[in-house]
Amino acid sequence: MQSYVHVILAGLSSGMFIWLVASGLTLIFGVLGVLNFAHGSFYMLGAYCTFTVLKYLGAGYWTGLLLGPLAVCAVGYVVERFFLRHVYRIALPYQLLLTFAFVLIFENTVKIVWGGGALSPPPLSFLGGSVPILGRNFPVYNLFIIAVGPAVALLLWALLEKTWYGRIIRASSSDREMAASLGVRVPALFTGVFVFGTWLGALGGGLSVPYVGLLTPGLGETIIIEAFIVAVIGGLGSLKGAFAGALVIGILSAFGTRFFPAFDMALTFILMGAVLLWRPQGLFGATR
Amino acid sequence: MGKKGMNRRDFLKLTGAGSLAVAAGGLGSGLLAPKWVWGATPKIKGPVKVGYQAILSGTLAGYGEFHKMGAVMAVEEINAKGGIAGQKVEMEFRDSTTKADDAIKNARYFVDSWGADFLAGIDSSGQALALAPVMAQLDRVLMVTHGATEKLTEEFVYKKGVKQIFRNCMPTYNDGHAAAFIAKDFPAVKWSTVSPKYEYGFTCWKMFQESLKGLKPSVQFVAESFAPFGTTDFRSHINTIMDAKPDGLYSTEWAGELISFVRQAKAAGLFEKVKYVMFPVGAAMDVLEGLGKDMPDNIWISARYFFQYPKSKVNTDWVARFNKRWNHYPAYVSETAYSAIYAYKQAVEKAGSKDTKAVVAAMEGMEQSSPAGTRIFRKEDHQAIYDVPWGKTKSDPKYPFKVMADMKVIPAKQYFNRPPFSGPGTTPPFK
Repeated sequence: MQSYVHVILAGLSSGMFIWLVASGLTLIFGVLGVLNFAHGSFYMLGAYCTFTVLKYLGAGYWTGLLLGPLAVCAVGYVVERFFLRHVYRIALPYQLLLTFAFVLIFENTVKIVWGGGALSPPPLSFLGGSVPILGRNFPVYNLFIIAVGPAVALLLWALLEKTWYGRIIRASSSDREMAASLGVRVPALFTGVFVFGTWLGALGGGLSVPYVGLLTPGLGETIIIEAFIVAVIGGLGSLKGAFAGALVIGILSAFGTRFFPAFDMALTFILMGAVLLWRPQGLFGATR
Repeated sequence: MGKKGMNRRDFLKLTGAGSLAVAAGGLGSGLLAPKWVWGATPKIKGPVKVGYQAILSGTLAGYGEFHKMGAVMAVEEINAKGGIAGQKVEMEFRDSTTKADDAIKNARYFVDSWGADFLAGIDSSGQALALAPVMAQLDRVLMVTHGATEKLTEEFVYKKGVKQIFRNCMPTYNDGHAAAFIAKDFPAVKWSTVSPKYEYGFTCWKMFQESLKGLKPSVQFVAESFAPFGTTDFRSHINTIMDAKPDGLYSTEWAGELISFVRQAKAAGLFEKVKYVMFPVGAAMDVLEGLGKDMPDNIWISARYFFQYPKSKVNTDWVARFNKRWNHYPAYVSETAYSAIYAYKQAVEKAGSKDTKAVVAAMEGMEQSSPAGTRIFRKEDHQAIYDVPWGKTKSDPKYPFKVMADMKVIPAKQYFNRPPFSGPGTTPPFK
């Protein structure tokens, strides 16, 4: 019993990280139609900026978590406003090339600014301990992460479904020309959505700082692959799908590692293959 | 570290300045030295060019920087003192990444386009194994300074006769066999592991099990969990270990992954439940500095070199010079990189030639005095034999990180596999 509960808890907390990254990725793809490879870099930058605020400015972790991802938003703004905007109309491979170029640029920027070595954040004072769950310690911080995931999901749902901005965003994503002719400033709106998506990725990075316990320039690489898998399983562009996908992948890999260690790396890919065969549009993807 | 690291421009300045100094020196000696002294200097044409590759990108980028510090320092020192056999040393440093293809591309570039006389570096065992046949084709000596798989020297050098490969870092023998020599004295009977899910992790765990079984037949191995490269979340692996309730945990996790593992294991209370913990590469500077006070006490750690050992003058002086040059304690790859360049100097000067065959002959059986102690390059498999320490982590007010207490050194001869590397009597424990 203890094993199962802890496996599920481990799966939930890792799933929530993947969700935070996949949500921004999905939002940007769903609205702008851009597959942003550099999204993992925003996660990495979010972690580094949060770390910098809390280490060098001597601020608390929560200030870091507030300011760090906001700083990355400025980077996201520049990327969309001056670069990505020019490739919306040309073929997908160019978008991929451009965003991949940003992956390399950001990785090297991090190395120049923060150095290539691993950095370790100071331990958390608040939420830093562990609580015994069925006789085994579980970090309080991970419980917090498990709560943050659904909170972000709720926020996104409310924003897109319940607000005027959400309606405008949905309208512009389904028909750019029509929205523009009705007076919506589509380019500005897209910039806003991209910056918001950037913030989600950077928030994931900021939240990972105490959890992973170290920062390295390759931080975004693993998570972006998992986030892509999750986005594909859930259906590209579907936030509901990304949330479900992240939960499934998180828990499945936790079970795999614990109970089928020989296949744990293959499990997620097997699942992705199966979903693509059975429902090529993904679990919650719209049929086209 | 970024600021202290060296960029290409600094490096060019450095070698430029070095070449001027050497040119001036050459001129001076040419004019002033009596003819017979000039004639006695070995005839080596042109600079000695060393192509160095290590990981400079991704999660392990810090390792490349540490290699670079050691190698650059050796080049600076050698050039300041007149170079190798009167010729200056030139070095180019490239990113090896972790992919075998990239390592091979770099090696070909170094030899075919840049004109390297010698190659050095390589962090990944997989890359080292992939490069071995290529080095035979390119016919240049490669000094492996980090990749630790014993198969490189046992299979390729000894059995297949790829004489161009040498290794000056500790192979997996320390991580596997020597760990068992330390573990046999613990009361722990039930052992477990969380280790990397690739060649290095598998081979070390296997060596540890076989040696420990040989030394102490009562041991049991109750759980193993292998984490793929790039793992940041060890929670499930920690669950596997805690479910098995072992007395001992052996882990060859390394670099950033070891840092994450220790932090997460600590949060899960693993170190209170498992009393005997061993990290064969836990004494790497990036790990010790990265964890700082978060590294628990009384964990047995080792590395391929640790700056507190040996207590020789050569070592203490070097550590002081290194600290002054880079404002850092030397990582083990800094030591192996530094000593690799010096090994080439010694071999070229002994052989009187940069020619691969002559240098190989000079290096076989060569004894080198280095910061890590005396290294002897074993003739049969080209593996450097030297001793490294094991010790228990403890705080020391002099350092902002944990250092070693109760240092123990198992002589390398007791646990290094012996030629012919197959059949009985080639693996420890030896009678």
